Amino acid sequence: MASQDVLFEFLHHEIVAYCNSKSKKEKEDVSELEYIGFACGYRIIERLTKDWPRFKEELDMLKFLCTDFWSSIYQRQVDNLRTNHQGVYVLFDNEFRFLSRISEGNQYLEFAPQYVSYTCGLIRGALANLGITCIVTAEVHLMPACRFHIQVQKS
Amino acid sequence: MARQTTKLDTKKVSAELFTLTYGALVTRLLKDYENIDDVNKQLERMGYNIGIRLIEDFLAKTNCGRCYDFRDTAEKIQLAFRTYLGVFPQVSNWSAANDEFSLLFDNNPLTEFVELPDHCLNLKYSNIFAGILRGACEMVQMEVTSWFVQDQLKGDNITELRIKFIKKLEDAIPVGED
Amino acid sequence: MIRSYNAKMIYNLYIFDKTGKLLFYTEWNRFKQSGMSRNEEGKLMYGMLFSLKNFVTKISPYDMKQGFLCFKTNKYALHFMETPSGLKFVLNTDISAQKVREILQQLYNNVYVNYVTRNPIHNLQDSIKSELFKSKLNSFMKQTHIYLSK
Repeated sequence: MASQDVLFEFLHHEIVAYCNSKSKKEKEDVSELEYIGFACGYRIIERLTKDWPRFKEELDMLKFLCTDFWSSIYQRQVDNLRTNHQGVYVLFDNEFRFLSRISEGNQYLEFAPQYVSYTCGLIRGALANLGITCIVTAEVHLMPACRFHIQVQKS
Repeated sequence: MARQTTKLDTKKVSAELFTLTYGALVTRLLKDYENIDDVNKQLERMGYNIGIRLIEDFLAKTNCGRCYDFRDTAEKIQLAFRTYLGVFPQVSNWSAANDEFSLLFDNNPLTEFVELPDHCLNLKYSNIFAGILRGACEMVQMEVTSWFVQDQLKGDNITELRIKFIKKLEDAIPVGED
Repeated sequence: MIRSYNAKMIYNLYIFDKTGKLLFYTEWNRFKQSGMSRNEEGKLMYGMLFSLKNFVTKISPYDMKQGFLCFKTNKYALHFMETPSGLKFVLNTDISAQKVREILQQLYNNVYVNYVTRNPIHNLQDSIKSELFKSKLNSFMKQTHIYLSK
């Protein structure tokens, strides 16, 4: 893995720790982290798709997210993408990078939400900039696997 | 999902995401703290936490031993910037006692998309570097301090980070030994 | 208990931080215990290494960079590696085991840094409780040449 990614990983840890210390009252509150991810996703996708052909439909955008986007950031593509063709998409990453140093199983499972919410925001921000309003949540049962649920809001 | 090579420059993308993420953090801190000095301190503290871990990765990757002298340290810090940020700061302006030097940056990856608003002129935007260096050096038994002398964000031609050696830290002696 | 014949070369491992705290201990083959608590044993081990390290450097006829590396008894050999950050890795093996320091170096580079340093849940001052680290350490040891030999 490139060294630059190690630094990014440590920065991410610090941001998680900081947001966590700020929202001590409610441990489950990860909205600030999600928002930081959102701001980054919104801006990075703009730079990524500058010289990219326009996407024809929603599914193309999601595919782009799962392949090129994901592998640029997490060194691997999403393992699986499922959709019900009605605005619900599920991304399966069996070895999610921000969990892969923490556990292979359910030890430390209670910490998992903190380490996935930046990425939920990242996805939501990227899609928002592409014109898709959605809600993104993550589900972790057995680390380092993670599922991201994307629910597109129909306007 | 079919493996395909991406048309994106992945290295550039992750570098940009790093820069944007750092920017989002600074923005958040500016919202949380009224006093800009507190933001500077918080950035330094976070850098310290990164530094004490990053050093292990650096030592593992480079297989290098403890520094012979501070000039050796300067070279290793330079190497670390190259390794982790892909930049090549120049080492210069050594003090006569060889205990202080500057790193000169033509470009600072942290500030690539940044413009400081007027009310933030006291902000040490890249202060995380000072913390990282303090943390990393402390782990190899050196106390250092660093500060920005020039900053492109504030209209200077280059960014200059000054690093000063304070003292060598002694190895801990186990209880009952001397 | 059926012991794997292959594993006989590697006995046990201690990891200390720079203050002498025992961060981690595990054993693969140890047929006799010291009769003291792990904590006490760790303290004495660290104290011995500390003195040994200082004294072998003191009596050296030349300036040395690394100093103390290992000692051998008629039953086991103790291998020592210290990182510039003061982490100390101590591995006891069979006396015929070769190139153990290389193993310790790899253990640090590929297992410790990846699964201890880079695990955000682990607090650097605490002893290592990560199951992931333990399992990676085990699989790492099982692919080393000394595990596979004999």
